[in-house]
Formats: sequence, structure tokens, C-alpha cells
Amino acid sequence: MNESTLLSITDVAKAFRGTPVLKGVDLELRSGEMLAVVGENGSGKSTLLKIAVGLLEPDAGAFSIRGTMGYCPQESLLFDTLTVRENFQFFGKAYGVTDWRERSDRLLERFQFAQYADYLISEVSGGTRQKLNLCIAVMHEPDVLILDEPYSGFDWETYVHFWEFTKELLEGGRALLVVSHLIYDREQFHAVHELIDGVLRCD
Amino acid sequence: MRLSYVATGALMTVRELMRNRLVLIMLFLIPSIFYTLVALTTSDRPIAFKLASVSEDTFVSVSQKSESLIFIGVAAVGFLTSFVAMNLIRRDVEVNRRLVICGYRPSELIVSKLTVLMGVILVVALFVSLSLLLFFRPDRFALTAVGLILAGWVYGAYGLLVGAIFRRELEAILFIVLLANIDAGWLQNPIYYADAQNTEIIRALPAYFPSQISMVAAFSDHSVTVPIAASVGYGLGLLFLALIVHRWRMPRVRHHGHLGDHNG
Repeated sequence: MNESTLLSITDVAKAFRGTPVLKGVDLELRSGEMLAVVGENGSGKSTLLKIAVGLLEPDAGAFSIRGTMGYCPQESLLFDTLTVRENFQFFGKAYGVTDWRERSDRLLERFQFAQYADYLISEVSGGTRQKLNLCIAVMHEPDVLILDEPYSGFDWETYVHFWEFTKELLEGGRALLVVSHLIYDREQFHAVHELIDGVLRCD
Repeated sequence: MRLSYVATGALMTVRELMRNRLVLIMLFLIPSIFYTLVALTTSDRPIAFKLASVSEDTFVSVSQKSESLIFIGVAAVGFLTSFVAMNLIRRDVEVNRRLVICGYRPSELIVSKLTVLMGVILVVALFVSLSLLLFFRPDRFALTAVGLILAGWVYGAYGLLVGAIFRRELEAILFIVLLANIDAGWLQNPIYYADAQNTEIIRALPAYFPSQISMVAAFSDHSVTVPIAASVGYGLGLLFLALIVHRWRMPRVRHHGHLGDHNG
């Protein structure tokens, strides 16, 4: 793992009940780099994502990450009966950040939903939920950000903010991995890898 | 275990609970309805029954209304706390998994929920105990209240276990209703117990020891030390099983604090 590598997956294999899902996957993500992994349903991208996030152990191969990680799930996993602000507080505690209020203020302004800070999640729109879902993944300023199907649920405004924000993250030396069944704006990525039958191929 | 994480988890759980007004209303409405029904349908005619945990020959004679109030109080606390516990452990399971990925430990989340559950048990049991005083004064009020608190403790632990085992709510609700109805709502009634056979089955059920504490304390001066210890142990056993199942269901996350490394 060289100095600029933040995420390294080497020859990772995983099988479920004898059926191989990943067959020796290699992936390296460097500082300032944004990669995409695309694949059809059943291609193994969820398994790869779970291994990268730390939810699943690979059967073989090596996995390493340098620095902190942020994970933005496809569905907005939030506490419905807590407010936007309280969700920031709870996840801020999980990350161990003491200045969660200042960080949440910055993100609320950045993604333009400060007016909903004291609303319960059950009262806000799907777009606002999606913004918060992303903000929670980045509130601890992770070195590596992993996004699962980030486009689903984004309205146009959030989509534009998302790309502006990712540029800032990359300029700050962070790295992004987007896992999706479809990739838009391919030119924004340094590389797009396609997962076919458990094998990763670079486009 | 980081106490400040437990405190934040408990604070958020309380906030969520307080915003569920229907649950809060039910916590006070259900015991009130149970007591009202007992008060309206039972008489002051004396009845004699066996204090099973004292000895097979120890009978007391009290009014039917008083006996029914104690019996139904235990059932109400058992029903309510098991439902609240089941809800607490099942609620937001996926979001809790995300919290674990972000850095919370599963043990901190479960202890924060347990802390809130203990508070709910105390509030419900004390409300039911104080409501008793509207109808009659038990011989040893404090120990009667302890019996009701321990009914909440044992059934709360049962609710946690059921909530941890079943992925779908319907199955969990059915298991709670089934046991609470048969055990706390039927077999533990001393009037039924007096003529029952295979009483060892009744003695093995979760509400047996707590209802014995309340009955013995309310109507006699016999010791309740053994049923208190047995209730605590019974609840601990169920809680231990619930924690094992819950931990098994939670993700085992390799935390990427600063440098993660894994070789498969």
C-alpha cells in the first residue's frame, strides 16, 4: 500500500453456500481519486460494498483502509421520530466528534436545508432525507467516502450540490468510491469498473 | 463501555418514546381500564386461596375484589412492559446497524435501551401500585409494589428476547400475547391455581414469582425473599438470552478508526 493509497482490496474472494460471488477482486483507491463500480443485480457489488464497509469478512484476499471511512447507504437510514438536528447529534456521537453542532450547521447551510433543522424526519420530504443521509456520511470528514447508489432519491438541486461537494472533497485529498447499477456523468470519474460475475473489469 | 455513548443513546430513545403519544396514553389507559373492569365486575365476597410459594397448606381469605386487583395489576404491568421492550429492541434496527458502522458499540445501544426500559417499568409499576390504593391498602404496600416492578422486569426481559428473535412484528406480538395471556392473565390467578394439576408448569412460567411476591405481600406477612431472588434471576436469564440473540443479529464491524487492515 503506497503513501497515496487510501483503500486497497487485493484478490478478495467471497462465496455463499459454495457459490462464488467475488472471484479475486482487486481495487485500489488513491487520495484525490473517485472510482465507480457498476454491475447488474447479482453481480456481487453489494457483497463488495459490505466488505469495503466492514460488514462482511472476505473468505480470501486482503483489505485495508488508511484513515477514516464514511458510508452513505442507498436508503436513507435515519431516525424518523428524531429531528434533523438530533440525527446529527446521534451520529456525531457515534463518530466521536464533539463539535457536531458546528459541523451540522455548516452542512445544513451547504446543502440548503437549515430551515428543516428542527423538523422530525417523518415530517420532511424525501429530498431532505437524502440530503441528511449524505451529510451524515460526511459529517466526520472521512478520508474515504463510500456511496451506495447515490443518485436514487436525489432531486436536481441535491444532484448539483452533490457534484460540487465531491469536487471539494477530492481537492482536499479524500477519495470516493461509488457503487451503482448505473453511472451517470462518467467523465467525472477517474475510472469506472464493471463487476461481471464476481470479476472486476476496468472500462 | 463508554458511558457518555450510553447516555446519548438513552436520551435519544427517551425522545423517541415521548413523541409516541399513543404509547404513552396506552401505558396509563390500559391499567386504568383493567382496574375499572375489575372494580365493576367483582364483589367483596370473601374467597380463600393458596399462597403457593409459601406452602401448599397456606390459605388466606380475602375479598374477591382485592385478589383480582393484585392479579390483574401483575398482568397489566407484564403486558405493557413486554410490548414496550419488544418495540424498543425492534425499532429502527437498520438505523442502529448504521450507528454501529459509524462507531457505536452494540452493547452501548442495548444498554441505553435497557436503561429506558427500566425507567418505563418503574413508572408503569408505580402507577399501577398507587392506583391500587384507590380500592384497598395491601398489608405490605412497598413489597406489593416490588412484586409489580419485578413483573415488569421479568416480562420486559421476555419482550426483549421475543423482539430480538423475531424479524417480523406480527410473530413477536403473537408470542407476547400468547404467553402473557396464558401466564399472567390466567394460570397465575391463585383461584385457578388452587385446583390446578401439574402445578410445576405454572411455577416455571415468568409471572409466577412476581405474582407470588405481590399476593403474599398484599395478604400476609410471610417472607417474599425467595420469590424476589427468583424473579431477579428469571429476568436476568431471559435478559442474557436476549443480549446474545441481539448481539448475534448486530453487524460485526471492522471499525476503520484510523487504520484498518484485514487479511482474509
